[in-house]
Amino acid sequence: MKNPLIQLGIIAAVLIISWQALRQVDWLTLFRVEQATQNTEEKLGDLLWEYNSTLEIELKSDSALAPLKKIVFLICEHNNIDSSEIKLHLLQNSEVNAFAMPDDHLVIYTGLIANCQNAEELSGVIGHELGHLVENHVMKKLIKEIGLSILISMTTGNGGGEIIQETFGALTSKAYDRDLEREADTLSVGYLLNANINPAPFGEFLFRLAQGHENDLDALYWLSTHPHSEERAANVFKFIENEEHPKDTLMSPSDWKQYQNYIAHEQ
Amino acid sequence: MITLKTFSYKPSDHEAERASNSYLMSVIALMVGMPFPIVNLIATFIFYLGNRKSTYFVRWHCMQALLSQISLFIPNAYSFYWTISILMGEKELNNDYFAFVIIVAAVNFIEFLATIYTATKSRKGIHVEWMFYGDLANLICPPKS
Repeated sequence: MKNPLIQLGIIAAVLIISWQALRQVDWLTLFRVEQATQNTEEKLGDLLWEYNSTLEIELKSDSALAPLKKIVFLICEHNNIDSSEIKLHLLQNSEVNAFAMPDDHLVIYTGLIANCQNAEELSGVIGHELGHLVENHVMKKLIKEIGLSILISMTTGNGGGEIIQETFGALTSKAYDRDLEREADTLSVGYLLNANINPAPFGEFLFRLAQGHENDLDALYWLSTHPHSEERAANVFKFIENEEHPKDTLMSPSDWKQYQNYIAHEQ
Repeated sequence: MITLKTFSYKPSDHEAERASNSYLMSVIALMVGMPFPIVNLIATFIFYLGNRKSTYFVRWHCMQALLSQISLFIPNAYSFYWTISILMGEKELNNDYFAFVIIVAAVNFIEFLATIYTATKSRKGIHVEWMFYGDLANLICPPKS
């Protein structure tokens, strides 16, 4: 066995076979990685929500939450998502914004409801944020922005106020990667179609924000966290051009207006 | 895997010491440069450059040490990149990663043991040839080059 090429082949074969054999072992379960990740996410979610709840007022009445819960339940039910895991929060804030937080917290600002022309537009945004949660974009973004070691240290009580503030800011006021936004949009449209909700208004919502933000400072906030809205609207329309749009509406125009008035009154 | 062979001549004590140092250099650099996989390769390469005009016994062992470091560098660099990607959130932790890292760690450990063994043997002037690397060193580093 003098030929180095044959020896190299034998070494490579041994290594590849060993790697293939080791790949069959469920190391993630063996090292309890998923459990540790889940625990970290839960602690992080609690920590950030605790911080957020000191800053803003949460609307908890059934009348305020019922339409939102209905949309979340509808989307989840038709897309194999466990709706009981979703922690829905409606916060008093005039900014046009919604965001996902670790441990399946889904936060919606009243400003978003005020700027949606119908329940389908809101459903598109909710579907988009659910897409971020389902695909674990939230943790990916935080790890990228903040760093895994700092996130873990936060959950063990070593995170200072500034780090929590920075982490919260990364979730609420910094955009996801363009690819992640596009993926969440595509998922949202798919979710809506599965749930028999017309996705076209979601595209119209993105397009309207991109076009009409000059006179609306609150909408500017949404645009800063969700850039390229015009391009994204075009993608949504392209995605659904060959799809048959569901005709039924979630809420009649008068019911939607009444709901918006109720939310505005609550503010 | 490792064979003790008779060298074409009996190396002097000074040669044996330098040949042994070529292996020790990679081990020390590995400890200093952890976790960066390039450090031990650079250290071994510099040591090889410094000894490329030395006697055959020294050159040969520097070459064997360098070849082993070059081949280790690729999987080490990839596992380093993979780990950083996971920490940065670019990639997800999965069973493939654990399998790869375990294999790389095992290869590094075997190489570490072989390096220590060869360093002690070559210090006594005993010629040690590793599987694959020894034959490759014979091809690259002929007696009169």
